[in-house]
Parts: sequence; C-alpha cells; structure tokens
Amino acid sequence: MAAVTRLCCVLRLSFEGVGTLRALGGAAHFSHLARHSAPQYAPVTAALQQNRHSSFFNKLTADELWRGVLAESGAGARKGRGKRTKRKVKKDLNRGQNLGEGRAGYLWPGLNSPVYRDGSIQKPSQRGEAEQKEVTAALERQRDEWDKRRKTKIKRERGWTGFSWGGISLGPPDPGPNGETYEDFDSRVIEVKSVFNVTAKESRKRSISALVAVGNGNGAAGKFRCIYAINDAKNRAMHYLYYIERYNNHTIYHDIESKFKRTTLRMKKQNKGYGLRCHRAVITLCKLIGIEDMYAKVDGSVNLLNITRALFHGLANQETHQNLADKKQLNVVEFRAEQGALPIVVAQPQLGARKEPEVEDDVPNTRLHWADVKASQGVKRSVWAGVKRTIW
Amino acid sequence: MAAFSFTRCLVRSYFCVKCVDHVQTRLQTTTRMFCVSTSRSTQFTDTEVQDILTKITGLDLKKVFQPIRQQLTPPKYKLMTDTELEEAVRKAEEQAKHLLKMPPVLPERKPINDVLSEDQMLEGMNTAKYVFTDINFNVPHRERFIVVREPSGTLRKATWNERDRIIQVYFPKEGRKITPPPIFKEENLRVVFEQDRHEDVLNQCVVQFEPDSAEFKNVLMLTYEDIEKHGKYDLLRSTRFFGGFAWHLVNGRRIDGLLVDMLQRDLMQDAVRLVRLFNLIHPQSESAQHAQRQQATDLNLLKIYAQYESNRAGFIELAVQTYEQTKAPSSF
Repeated sequence: MAAVTRLCCVLRLSFEGVGTLRALGGAAHFSHLARHSAPQYAPVTAALQQNRHSSFFNKLTADELWRGVLAESGAGARKGRGKRTKRKVKKDLNRGQNLGEGRAGYLWPGLNSPVYRDGSIQKPSQRGEAEQKEVTAALERQRDEWDKRRKTKIKRERGWTGFSWGGISLGPPDPGPNGETYEDFDSRVIEVKSVFNVTAKESRKRSISALVAVGNGNGAAGKFRCIYAINDAKNRAMHYLYYIERYNNHTIYHDIESKFKRTTLRMKKQNKGYGLRCHRAVITLCKLIGIEDMYAKVDGSVNLLNITRALFHGLANQETHQNLADKKQLNVVEFRAEQGALPIVVAQPQLGARKEPEVEDDVPNTRLHWADVKASQGVKRSVWAGVKRTIW
Repeated sequence: MAAFSFTRCLVRSYFCVKCVDHVQTRLQTTTRMFCVSTSRSTQFTDTEVQDILTKITGLDLKKVFQPIRQQLTPPKYKLMTDTELEEAVRKAEEQAKHLLKMPPVLPERKPINDVLSEDQMLEGMNTAKYVFTDINFNVPHRERFIVVREPSGTLRKATWNERDRIIQVYFPKEGRKITPPPIFKEENLRVVFEQDRHEDVLNQCVVQFEPDSAEFKNVLMLTYEDIEKHGKYDLLRSTRFFGGFAWHLVNGRRIDGLLVDMLQRDLMQDAVRLVRLFNLIHPQSESAQHAQRQQATDLNLLKIYAQYESNRAGFIELAVQTYEQTKAPSSF
C-alpha cells in the first residue's frame, strides 16, 4: 500500500478522471484521488508525468521570489537601459491572511475561534458553506479595496508647467536643532535636473541637482543648490539667508542692473498695483522675498542658477534712500504724478544737508537700452509687446 | 429750479393755513435761510471777506494734493538742498492756492419767460417741440440764442434747464452729463453723506451744474446742512468749498458749531477771523456793535460774541480762558 501510494505520488497516470498536473497545491489532492483510483486500475500503460508536492515556490521566501520577478538589479536596469513603461509593483500576498483561515473553513479554537466558550473548551469545528462563502467574499472585497487604494494616483501640485518641478512649494523647512521653527518661511523649488557624474566603477552616475529657495515674504530669503536631495536643499537654504530692503514693502528702491557671469538682470522699480512682470523664476523668488511690483528683464544667458545669483546680489547691494542721502549729503525728495507738485521728503542726511546743490547736466547721463527705447516708442514688432494681462 | 419753486409754493401754502401774524416772521427766517445777501453792504467777492475765508480754509498740502484716481506711474526722485526744498514747497503752495479757488456764490438766476411770437396758424402742424440754437463758436454761452417752437405755435426763449442741456449737446464740457446723474437725488445723497464723501459730491456738483442754478444751490445747501448737523467740519477744511460753507453759515447766523470745532482744534486765529467776518456781515448785531464800541481785538472779540450772540457761550468762554492760561500771552 505504501509502495502504491509512493508510486502514485511520483507518477501521474494520464487518463480521465485525473486532471492535468498543476503546480500549486496539486500534489495533496492528486495523491488523495490516486489512492482511491489505484486499487481499480492496473497501472502503467499510460504515459508517466512528473508530479511534485513542492516546488521552488514553496522553498523560497516571498522577498526572494519578488526579487526574481521584479528584476530590479539586472543588467538591463543598470545604465538606464530599462524600459520605462513596464514596471512591476511588489505586493504583499499575505496581507489579510489569518492563521487558521483556510478554504475549507475550519474553526480552530485559539486561532480562529475563542478557546473557552461558556466555560468549556471548544473543539475544532467547521463553518457552514454559506458562512464560509461570505467570509471568503469579504476577504476578496477587502483585497480589492486595498488594490484600488494603491492604484489611485496622488495628484502632484503643478509647477510652472505640468511636468516641471519649478515653482512647486515644498512647505516650510524642518525645525532647527535648537528647536526653532520656521513656520513663516515657505520654500519653493526653482530647478530640478538630473546631473551625470562619470565615475571609475560605473561609467555615468546619475544624481539629481535641486535649486531651492526659501523666504518669509518679509525681506528674508535664501537659496541653496544641492545634489543629493531636495529636502536637504530646503533645510540648508535656511543657513544662507539674505535680508533685502524693500521700499514701502512692495518694491525695490531704484532701478538695478546686476550681472553675473553671462546673465544680466535689469530690474525696474514700479508703482503699486503693477504686479510682477518678470521671468517665472524671478516671480517665484520675488514672491518669497515679498516684492509685489517690479519689472525685470533677463538678458544674455537664461541659466536659472545664474539668474538667482544675479538677483540676490543685485537686491542685496541696493542703496536705500537713507544711504543715498548720507552719501550725497542732500535731501531725497519724491515727486508723485498723482499728487501734483507736492514734494515728499523721504530721507534726510543725518549730518544735515550741504549747501551746494547737485549739478545736473542738460542731458541725463544714463545708459539707455535699445529694447526699452523701442518699447516706449511703440516701434517694437512683437506679438507679445502690447498684450494686456489680468493676472501677473 | 422746478423743485425750488415747488417747495416755495408748498411753503407759501402752508403759511396760508396758519395764522397771519406768524407769516411775517416765518417769511423773514426763510429768506434768511435761502437767499444770499444781495441787499447787504458786504458781498462774497469783497477782498476782505475773501481774505478771511482763504485764511480760515487753511492750506494743508497733504490734503490738497491727495492722490487722485488715475493711472499710476513710478515716482521720481530728486536730490535737493534745504533751500531747493523750500523753493519746491513754495511752488507747491502756489499751485495749491490755485486749486483752492472758491466756486462763486451768485444770486439765483431768474426764470426766463420770454415769448417771441404767437402763431396760431402753426398749431397742430408738428407733434414735437423744435429747438433752434445759435452754434457760432465765438458767442459766450450766456448770450446764445436758444429758442423753442412749441406744437401750439408759440415761439419762446428756452428755459434755463433746456439751455443747459442744449449747450451740453453742442459744446460738451468734460465731466458734465446731459441729464444730471442720480447721485444728486436726496436719498442717494443721504447714502453718500453717510460715507463722508461730501467733497466728491461737491466736486461733481460744480462740474455738472452752473453756479447760479437752483440745483447747484440745492445740493450745496443739503451738503452744508448735513455737515452742520453732524459736525463734520474737518471734511471740508483745506478744500475749495470751505469758504462757501463758512459764508453760508455766517449768513444764517449759525457759526456756533464751527466756532466750537475750531476751538477744540486750537485754531484760535481762525475762530477770531470767523467772528470778525460775522461782524462784517451783520453790522447791526449786538456783538458787532459792542465790538465797534470797545474797538475790541482778538480774544476780546470772541468774548463779546460769546456773551451776546452765541448759544454755547459757556464753552467758548472756557476755551478762551484756557488758551490764555496755557499759552504765553504773546501777540498774534
């Protein structure tokens, strides 16, 4: 009898009544069936097929199996050769399983059902068919819900364009080591790009470079560029803050032209209500600083790193009205068109004004820009020249 | 104009119902309220009167040069020495004086009832009135010929209202509308006064109506009454309407509120000037006569006025006393 059973475990008799061999969990059933059918038929005219109780699926852990399926560290994945669209996601199949729950629906006291009921120790029993169906259906529904939740895409906030990281807010920086919080600071990504470094071991090593700026909207702002992590950049940017003086908290003191490497940034002071009509990176930075009305034009290279450097250098080296008054020893007087001829004294020198007035030439000694002249005279031939926007 | 005559008729009919002996005094008070002093010796345009009125209007540059609603531009900066700054302030003051020129106070214009001809033959020929206007460019508007042919055949000169409308059609003035905007209705004026926008209403009124028209005077009167009632004298200070307002109050002998307001703001000189104006305009009043007798000056004028004419004598005297005590008795 034992020999017959062993024979039937290893060999599979191919005739009706016994289905084809299926790998998962088939061995036990077939041995069961084979035991019944063995005494009826005399063996061995049918073809022999292999039948196993266990396969490599039972011998390996879930992690190892998944590593094989996902193939994350194959030769194809390295050096950027992997195909983008196909990407399998690891799923924990044991989720929702309880010890004791099975397809047959047996109730094991201590595992499925309570050990004591009404004072007496329970014996193993079986659930009814309908109940078992309910239980399995409930488990299925739960697993489906988990799957659905995993598949829902979280909408990422849109930056300057749909895919770009520029202009996306990363929230306030993390609190410092001594417990100081930076809740009033907001951080924004200016630029994220993947940067390749050639190493000896692997030919090109990909890293991500992030330029992040932080600011509190009240004149304190800073930026930092980091190669490893965006969060790191955000926190390190707090170490490099500038304080920028603003005139009436809404604009700069005077027109600034600042140059850094091959990027020139021309900034013009504007009245309240003008808005920020600048390059989108300059708009983001000005919002963090707290400047509300300004016109800026980027000439030359439009490298974002250089633009931010030029902006911060230019704004930090502004001359406030008080500085100007002290430097020239004269009163700084403001004339506004909407207030007629009223002179408003904005700054007075600390040591008193000098007696000799400022010498002014008939023709002011300022350098004009051809683009500005064309725009002011209406000669500029561009479809975007006189366009009226409502949002700036 | 029609409204004014209507109210006058109402008032008159009201008088007819009441006792006869009250009518005379009532008429006197109404004339004092409504009409401007044409029969008195001092006029609005007298140099002394104008001098006093300009001085009490004040010259607060910040209020005169308030930012107006227009397209904003970035401000311009100049580096100036102290002398240059003073020069600039002086120029600003000159421009401010030009802006503070008072709108004229004229007697109300008499209605035009001139009929040029009556043609019975033309009766029924037209269904509408025809207006004939002389649109020569070099004719002053007041002397223009504007005549109306009625459907009944009469040819008459146009009324003042019609004249204003027609002249606005052919020679439009900036800011003036052909039909007066609804802000000048009473209920809308009440809303505007609650928002303290008396100056805006008066500016619009000056643009819209002629200075001797009934609507102009009506709106002015309503504004002045509202300011007087609520004591919002400071709204018109340093504007060009303060002179007309003070003139209206002095003519109505109701300068107490304004005096008290000036004293509260420590404007002693203005208060004295106001009393002097009162004495100029009402030389028969008791305070004027006493002042003339005693040749009183400065604070004594105030004291005399407080004694004889004022309803708030206590407050005025107290204020004068405190002024004398706190400030050094230096000459004005």
